[in-house]
Amino acid sequence: MREPVIRTEKLTRTYNMGTSVITALWEADLTVQAGEFIALMGASGSGKSTLLNLLGLLDRATAGEYFLEGKPVSSLRRDELADLRGRRIGFIFQNFNLLPRLSAWENVALPLAYRKGEFGVQDQFNRAREALSRVQLDQRAEHNPMELSGGERQRVAIARALITLPAVILADEPTGNLDSKTGIEIMRLLKELNAEGRTIIMVTHDMNVARNASRVYHMLDGLLNESEWSNVAD
Amino acid sequence: MSLIDLLRTALRNVSANKLRAALTMLGVVIGVASVIAMLALGNGARAAVDATFQSLGANQIQIGQRFAMEDGDLQPSGKTLTFSEGLDMLSAVPLVERVEMSVSKTVKARFGQNTVEINTIGTTADAIEGLASSGDIQPVGWTGDHAFSKEDLLGDGRFFTTDEVYAGAPVCVLGYQTALDLFSGDDPIGQTIWVDRTRCEVIGVITELESTDVQERYRSDPNEGLLMPISTVIQTLYEEEPSVYMTVHVADANRIDEAKEEITKYLRERHAIEQDAEGNYQDDFDTLTRNDILGQQQEAARTFSLLLAAMATVSLVVGGIGIMNVMLVSVTERTREIGVRLAVGAKQRDIVSQFLLESIFISTSGGLAGIVLGILAIPLAAALNQGVALLYPGSIPLAFGVAVLIGIVFGLYPAIRAARLDPIEALRYE
Repeated sequence: MREPVIRTEKLTRTYNMGTSVITALWEADLTVQAGEFIALMGASGSGKSTLLNLLGLLDRATAGEYFLEGKPVSSLRRDELADLRGRRIGFIFQNFNLLPRLSAWENVALPLAYRKGEFGVQDQFNRAREALSRVQLDQRAEHNPMELSGGERQRVAIARALITLPAVILADEPTGNLDSKTGIEIMRLLKELNAEGRTIIMVTHDMNVARNASRVYHMLDGLLNESEWSNVAD
Repeated sequence: MSLIDLLRTALRNVSANKLRAALTMLGVVIGVASVIAMLALGNGARAAVDATFQSLGANQIQIGQRFAMEDGDLQPSGKTLTFSEGLDMLSAVPLVERVEMSVSKTVKARFGQNTVEINTIGTTADAIEGLASSGDIQPVGWTGDHAFSKEDLLGDGRFFTTDEVYAGAPVCVLGYQTALDLFSGDDPIGQTIWVDRTRCEVIGVITELESTDVQERYRSDPNEGLLMPISTVIQTLYEEEPSVYMTVHVADANRIDEAKEEITKYLRERHAIEQDAEGNYQDDFDTLTRNDILGQQQEAARTFSLLLAAMATVSLVVGGIGIMNVMLVSVTERTREIGVRLAVGAKQRDIVSQFLLESIFISTSGGLAGIVLGILAIPLAAALNQGVALLYPGSIPLAFGVAVLIGIVFGLYPAIRAARLDPIEALRYE
């Protein structure tokens, strides 16, 4: 059997708040195969962001283990996590998180720029143009984010997530800041990318958005459950 | 990220806040300018001391009557320093080898229809040697690889002798320009001129001289004037005995301080100066050696340098704190940006480099501006310090280094703070 892209074993994250301990995620077991499109649903505070941060290597689990492409990550140092994040994970945020002083292509190339000595500036530019053309924005390569519409900004962010050909793309409410028409366009784009073989895990609280996923998980009070909607999908 | 990428990022971020960066630089600008000016003063003082060393030999003591403030004027105090005291010093103080003496007086010199108002210097015969070795003047176009002698100074005729000095002979040696002015090109040797109401035979003319002191601060034209035996000047041009100026040569330069003490003792005896109730002497003469001048110059330069050093330190620290403050603000403003960079794979040292380079960029720009300002301020510093300030070339790399160091020292804390940000918190920051 093929190694799953993501596998967690009793992944737990607790926070110490003074004397009390808050459990944000409790013994989550999740397995994601390459090419899957997973939706994570739940109310705010249910732990879905905590899980996404752990999967994105932005946070460390208190207990349990997370295997990214078969490798356990709990013993990695901060800079090793950063390196792995830059290479194997693509992020798409609700508020796009583009750097305002960089042009569209420079934003897209940013993950490559942090790989010391691997990509020259011309190489970075070419790859960024390629990624931008995948989201139909290669004509806007030299524009600043401020000069782009919300949908265009999110497409730049998607190109940034694509450029490293990551193991998984993590999308946190990718349509949350967009009008419904633009939101549908972005979802269509994500579905296309999934059809091309990209693995996507998406946090959303919009059921209509979640319907695009192949499997839906539901979170409640830090507990992860596969939802019956999974059966409805497709 | 590569250094070029980092530099480009730093440049872009600094130029996005030009006014803020310029204001932040100000402290470093002033601090660096102070460093440049301070070192220029020290360097100038050293150059001045070197010049003094050339004119005052290590074995020489200069003695003159003391001047004191009286009724708002500088007045000679106490008894005059007399010619005979100088002559007697040779026997009274065994360490003394030779005493050159001089007085000077403005006189009218006349030959036929030509009259000039000039300075007469009455000297001992060996004072000509002193003139030759002073280093202040030289024959025009002198390129000799040896020090010029008494003979090289003479254009025509001869100098007066020690016997003529003792006898008070009515003879004189003319300056090059004065000879031209009085004799209009005729041969002056053997002619008799009037010096005020005294008749005096011209026995020599000094060759054309030029000042070796490029700034020519103290000296009028060295070719105007005449030299006479000091005794002749005292006897015929003065009604009362004038104070003479002495240059005492000590046989052994190593014993100069000892000689100075004995001369002081001798002169106190001659002038009947007693210890007062507090055990001090109210001397009416001053003695000056090379060490005294060195001490004075260093004292003046040190006081001023200390002031500038304090100013430089305060400005640099304030400037550095300003940079730290602005960088901390910048880190806070760009928390989200830092979060994004961390999310896409930036290591801690990438973030440290980015912010450190930015603060170094600000401090170095300030440093460069400060270097320019400091060089421009040197004439001002010179005006405040008796005209002595000279750019010290080493101060430019030093000031530049200090500016870079300020950027590193005060930029490090904000940069480390930026790099230690938690990526989740940073991404969530509004």
